[in-house]
Amino acid sequence: MLKHTLKTLLVGTCIVAGFSAAAEAGTLENLERERAQTIQYFLDGQMEANERLARIEVSKRRLIDMERMVLRDKSLRGKTTPIVRRAFLNYDVTFMAHSATEKNLTMVDNWLDQFEVNTDTLMSAKIGKR
Amino acid sequence: MTRRTSMTHLVFASTLLAATVLGAPLAQAANANWSPQSSERLVKLPPTYLKKSLDHDFQQSSLGEALGETEEDISLKGQTLADLKQAIASSSGDTRLELRHEFLAEKRAYLDMMTERNALRRQHLETKRNLFEDMLDHLNAQENQGPGAEEVIANQDAAFERFERTYADVDKNFFATNMEPESKYAQQFSQNMQAIEQLVARIENHKMNASSMTDDGLPLTRKEHLRRLVSDTQSELSIIEQEETILGYMAKLVALDAMDLAEDGMDMELADSDVTNALKPATSVSYFLDN
Repeated sequence: MLKHTLKTLLVGTCIVAGFSAAAEAGTLENLERERAQTIQYFLDGQMEANERLARIEVSKRRLIDMERMVLRDKSLRGKTTPIVRRAFLNYDVTFMAHSATEKNLTMVDNWLDQFEVNTDTLMSAKIGKR
Repeated sequence: MTRRTSMTHLVFASTLLAATVLGAPLAQAANANWSPQSSERLVKLPPTYLKKSLDHDFQQSSLGEALGETEEDISLKGQTLADLKQAIASSSGDTRLELRHEFLAEKRAYLDMMTERNALRRQHLETKRNLFEDMLDHLNAQENQGPGAEEVIANQDAAFERFERTYADVDKNFFATNMEPESKYAQQFSQNMQAIEQLVARIENHKMNASSMTDDGLPLTRKEHLRRLVSDTQSELSIIEQEETILGYMAKLVALDAMDLAEDGMDMELADSDVTNALKPATSVSYFLDN
């Protein structure tokens, strides 16, 4: 009976230990790669406007999923690595797809807004030599 | 009673008196050991199960076995003492004196066993207290993940809260402007969430996952539960100290009884002596009054 109990206990412990070790990192790194790619589409002067819009739309779908994965990733909780620290400092910059959709803005407008670049600031800007 | 017998009793009682010192070398206590480790697994065990798991681990250890054996011996010794006490009450003369010596020797053996038991119990409780303190340190270390962790956690909480608050609106806005169905991740996530919610509900209601309660019925956190275990263990250690005082008094009584027996022996020795009052000058005066 005791042998049986111990065996059951051991099996239970192994199962719990196995699953608690299964936590996987990398969600934030994936998001950062996709975000970097999206920002390249924003800034790429060689790209046609239609192509840019299409690519950004595809990126947005992917970003929405990836941002959710990061926000739900428990392994990031309390991590003080520079990448995690920076990622959660500004929601609007890191989770730009959610932030833009929430505010009903395009991702480009929302992203530029974070750096105080908008139509008003551009219109009031003066051309001059530095 | 012969002179030889009373001399034997005197020597026996004196030896017993000299030997009635608590804290003699404890062979079993020195070799017995229990060394539980404060592991991640132990910290994560449900509070209700933690104590049982530790008790089981202790019983399997050499320290647990030694304590069990000592307690069995004490129980048998207690029976011997009761028998002897009864025998003394119904005996007389030399037999009674013999039995009194026997009773005294058994009482001393009983005290030795009790001292050994307390040493083992103390070792057990101190190990347990140290383990709980290690587990508390472990939990504290997990909570304090380094400088800046609190700020990161606060930012993460704020981000998640904002996400939760706007989640439905984001979906509505996004899918209203897109004819495409939800992504594979989103579809599977919602399916899995339903399964997870059912499992979580079952886990929360599982009796082995029940959190400990205060006397007022308030649930205790893991940390509070551990602090409570440390304090309970400390209380048990204090009780052992008090029990050691009782054993000290018992040892003193055994020593006094041994002195009493030794004195009885000496009285008999003197009563048997051939030396009379002739040693006193006044009783010999008559020898000097006549020529």
